[in-house]
Amino acid sequence: MDFFAHQERARRKTGWLVAYFVLAVLGIIVTIYGVFAAVILYGESRGGSLAGPSGFWNPELFSLVAVGTLVIIGLGSMYKIALLSRGGEAVATALGGRPVLPSTRALPEKILLNVVEEMALAAGTPVPPVYLLDHEAAINAFAAGTTPQNAVIGVTRGAIENLKRDELQGVIAHEFSHILNGDMRLNLRLMGILHGILVIALIGYFLMRTGSRRVYLSSSSGKKGGNPLPLIGLCLYIIGYIGVFFGHLIKSAVSRQREFLADSSAVQFTRYPDGIAGALKKIGGLDSGSRLQAARAEEASHMYFGNGLSASFLNLLATHPPLSERIRRIQPDFNGVFAPTTPVDHLTAEVIDPRTLAQRLGEGAGVSSAFAGSGVHEAAVEGAERLAFAPDAAVMQVGAPQTKHVDYASALVRGLPAELRGDVRDPLGAIATIYALLLDDDEPDVREAQRDYLRNRADPRAWAETERIVPFVAQVQAEAKLPLVSMVLPALHELSSRQLAAFRDDVTWLIKADRKVSLFEYGVHRLVLKRLIPRLLGKTVAAARVTDLHSNISACRGLLSALANSAGSPEKATEAFRQGAARLFKGGQELTIMSSGEADLRTFDRALDELSGTTPPLKKRILEACAECIGADGHVTVEEGELLRVISDALECPMPPLLQ
Amino acid sequence: MQPLVAALSNSAITLIVIAVVAVLFVMYAIGVFNNLVALRNRFKNAFAQIDVQMRRRYDLIPNLVETAKGYMKHEKDTFEAVIKARNAAFSAGQTAAANPGDPRAMQTLSTAETALAASMTKFIGLTENYPELKANTNMLSLQEELTSTENKIAFARQAFNDAVTSYNTAREVFPGNIVAGFGGFGPAELFEVSAPEQREAVKVQF
Repeated sequence: MDFFAHQERARRKTGWLVAYFVLAVLGIIVTIYGVFAAVILYGESRGGSLAGPSGFWNPELFSLVAVGTLVIIGLGSMYKIALLSRGGEAVATALGGRPVLPSTRALPEKILLNVVEEMALAAGTPVPPVYLLDHEAAINAFAAGTTPQNAVIGVTRGAIENLKRDELQGVIAHEFSHILNGDMRLNLRLMGILHGILVIALIGYFLMRTGSRRVYLSSSSGKKGGNPLPLIGLCLYIIGYIGVFFGHLIKSAVSRQREFLADSSAVQFTRYPDGIAGALKKIGGLDSGSRLQAARAEEASHMYFGNGLSASFLNLLATHPPLSERIRRIQPDFNGVFAPTTPVDHLTAEVIDPRTLAQRLGEGAGVSSAFAGSGVHEAAVEGAERLAFAPDAAVMQVGAPQTKHVDYASALVRGLPAELRGDVRDPLGAIATIYALLLDDDEPDVREAQRDYLRNRADPRAWAETERIVPFVAQVQAEAKLPLVSMVLPALHELSSRQLAAFRDDVTWLIKADRKVSLFEYGVHRLVLKRLIPRLLGKTVAAARVTDLHSNISACRGLLSALANSAGSPEKATEAFRQGAARLFKGGQELTIMSSGEADLRTFDRALDELSGTTPPLKKRILEACAECIGADGHVTVEEGELLRVISDALECPMPPLLQ
Repeated sequence: MQPLVAALSNSAITLIVIAVVAVLFVMYAIGVFNNLVALRNRFKNAFAQIDVQMRRRYDLIPNLVETAKGYMKHEKDTFEAVIKARNAAFSAGQTAAANPGDPRAMQTLSTAETALAASMTKFIGLTENYPELKANTNMLSLQEELTSTENKIAFARQAFNDAVTSYNTAREVFPGNIVAGFGGFGPAELFEVSAPEQREAVKVQF
């Protein structure tokens, strides 16, 4: 099953989730009604008088309870869903996480960020912000968000202190698998919907507190039997926790199998089973295991790497398979014994175990240098003028990164000038890096004009940093430019709105300075201007959902025409267009190519916007059509490959780097 | 829903309406509260960014002083002043990091940073008079790192102050001011440093 199938299936699974939820709500309504009816009967039998026919069945009371419960559950769920739709940060902060600064100097945090960055570059997603759960000594992690493009990763302090780099990489790979398999969005929806059921318990708890100072009078005659609120509160509290029980039921039905899948995807990703198995073993060897202390850990329990809750009867239906079973699926000869876990000294621990590397490169003999991996990079760069890829192969790699991509990413990062590796992870450095990258290489006039603009109109500190960084940026190879942008993006999360607006204006000006838009500039436009900044300023506009390409014919034409027209001669362009169109609409519709004048960049851009709302199976077709169009002339340049990746990213499909 | 609703008497409907209104009101209040929490977290995180860069600068300064000592043999007073100012700022920074935005901590930090900036200006100004020191590659690279770090601190301060202003505004306007009172959201202080923008060379008179 590929990425697109996973995403589509996760979408459909929501249907089951809703069905279970409705059953749970019905169960709760009946139970609450039972409680209220019992209380009233009790009150009546003590001599109080309450309206309504006597006997257990009271239609008016039932309606009251039903409507009231539905309203409360509905409001609770809607509130939470709205809160979570803004992205994964809400979950991270609710669990007590703090953002890890990209410019951090703490070694365990740096290692964590490097691992996450490598994974993101390999998978073709933007580098996600990372949160650290400082107060958790257990080993655990989660990924939250609605799309791969707004995902957030959270890791506990226990994880970074007890796991070696390879083991941490296994955990992060597992989380990335959740992101790529479509689990994340489903999990977040689960959390939102179930919150409505929890609200009842919260109300019950609140009511219990109101009566805490009053004694329940049970002896005076003629009076109503004291304050019934705390009793009702207690009952609601208990009922609410029945809601939690239903919640566990639903969660485990939906998410348990996903854990095995994520484990196996992670192994595929890193091809180093010892990493993730090692992490699981360390959880077993730690006292606190993977249990989280945070008061609200319950809500996100289905999203963690390991079981986040302690064993109790409510957890008979655990959200995670047992540790030993998970380990055995990866290492069948595990003997079931957990050695006690001790913290890792990152300064002395080997960053790359030579045995690991040898395993991954498939060599029997010992490997001497940790830089052996860079051979992959060199092979990818040399003769990278032309890539030879079949269109289907590129699209099949979407959401399915492999070890070679991780190696490539790691070599790419190491190949950057030292200054750029470490020093540009703060907001100012990130801004300066992007400005420096946008300075025109080809035309000195334009470059001068851009520099003048920055000197006079940009923040003076940004200008000073840009000047300082320019010599280093000049050393960056062409295919590392967009990845470098991707690497510095997380730092932009720390800018204030004012600074973001100024940055946006500067970048827009710099791109337009030469009246042309290069591929790199287009990439920056989409990654930074169209996606990140609106999201940070809270101004995203979701694309309308498209279930049938026939309603967006002009967008399809515009997209393919723009691609085809870069083929060279008009005949080649027409042929390329035809092949692409054939992929989009199997037979049937005959599309005609647009002229170069019509299919300009703006058309292309708008077409992408429109098509980003399509369903996953359609996205797959669109990508295949684009790839077919690009490859129609028999060869694909590095630039064309990058363009395909930009398109893929705009459609929210993570495509790994295209290698030989 | 219809048959359910039809079965309700007036008093029941009133009860439901009151309950719904109450719940909506509570949720709204929670929303306002959460917003204040989010804004407060934002400026606390923004301070962490300043803190990282300040620590880098506090580490750089002793290196600069050591390098300069080899060339500027008779400026002991200046060196001591710089190190003293640096230490004061360092500890003020630690206090502020424990409680970002707290008025007293921020004021102490602002004062200490201003003093440090002044003594650094004097120090760098003095180095202008020692050409061999100026040409020393180590000194040049340290100075460049210092300038870059100062820029980063200033930029991060701007983001912090923006965040503090947003928070203060939210807690002063209605309905934030009510919730702020109950929830213990105190006012946050800006981080202002009156540093001289230009480093003027200090001429030593003989």
